[in-house]
Amino acid sequence: MDFLTALQISGSGLSAQRTRVNIAASNLANAESTRGPDGQPYKRHDPILAAVPFEAQLDAANQAHGGSQGAVGVEVQHIVEDPSPGRKVYLPGHPDSDANGFVTFPNVNPINETVNLLTASRGYEANATAVETLKSMAQRALDIVR
Amino acid sequence: MKPISLGSIENPGLAIEKPETPEVAEGFGAALKEAVSKVDAMQVDADAQSQALAGGDGNLHETMLALEKADVAMKVAMKVRNKILDAYNEVMRMSV
Repeated sequence: MDFLTALQISGSGLSAQRTRVNIAASNLANAESTRGPDGQPYKRHDPILAAVPFEAQLDAANQAHGGSQGAVGVEVQHIVEDPSPGRKVYLPGHPDSDANGFVTFPNVNPINETVNLLTASRGYEANATAVETLKSMAQRALDIVR
Repeated sequence: MKPISLGSIENPGLAIEKPETPEVAEGFGAALKEAVSKVDAMQVDADAQSQALAGGDGNLHETMLALEKADVAMKVAMKVRNKILDAYNEVMRMSV
């Protein structure tokens, strides 16, 4: 089932890119959040993508078929927090200001996040195009017996 | 020159052995049944995912991929059916 293998790999790519978009969106949304659930300013999140061999997910019948040889899917292994310090702004009246009147803002750079958003969206498009190509290949193969 | 022998007609003992067809027929039937049930499983999966998506919890592109898979599997099944029917019709048209 080579065709379905490729479809599932593209699916894993779509999922990974969507997760990246989700994370970039939450970073952008929280660019000014000075407090989170733990009382600390929001820390920028970063997805870690990992390649996972596709063979492991297949049953023995398909493995014997050799249809998925060398096929590697992608997966968001974990989401890490960026430990870099946030920017400090002097706002003495702010409820989250420290003893010296400084407020720590998140370490999110909206420009970087916008670029991440853009590359993730392009990645999603690329995977969707791969699916589209697969679809037309399958259609082309079906047209042989017309 | 040897005279043509009519031995096989006179002697039923020399009749051609009947090939064992039942096993083959069962194999084809089973294969067809399995193929149909696989196509059906994909349809059911696509249906379940569409319902989950409509219900609010579901994965958009996973659903689309399931629909696509079901669509392609159905098309393949249809092509195979048409081919088999063509062959059948061809045999039925044969003048005896």
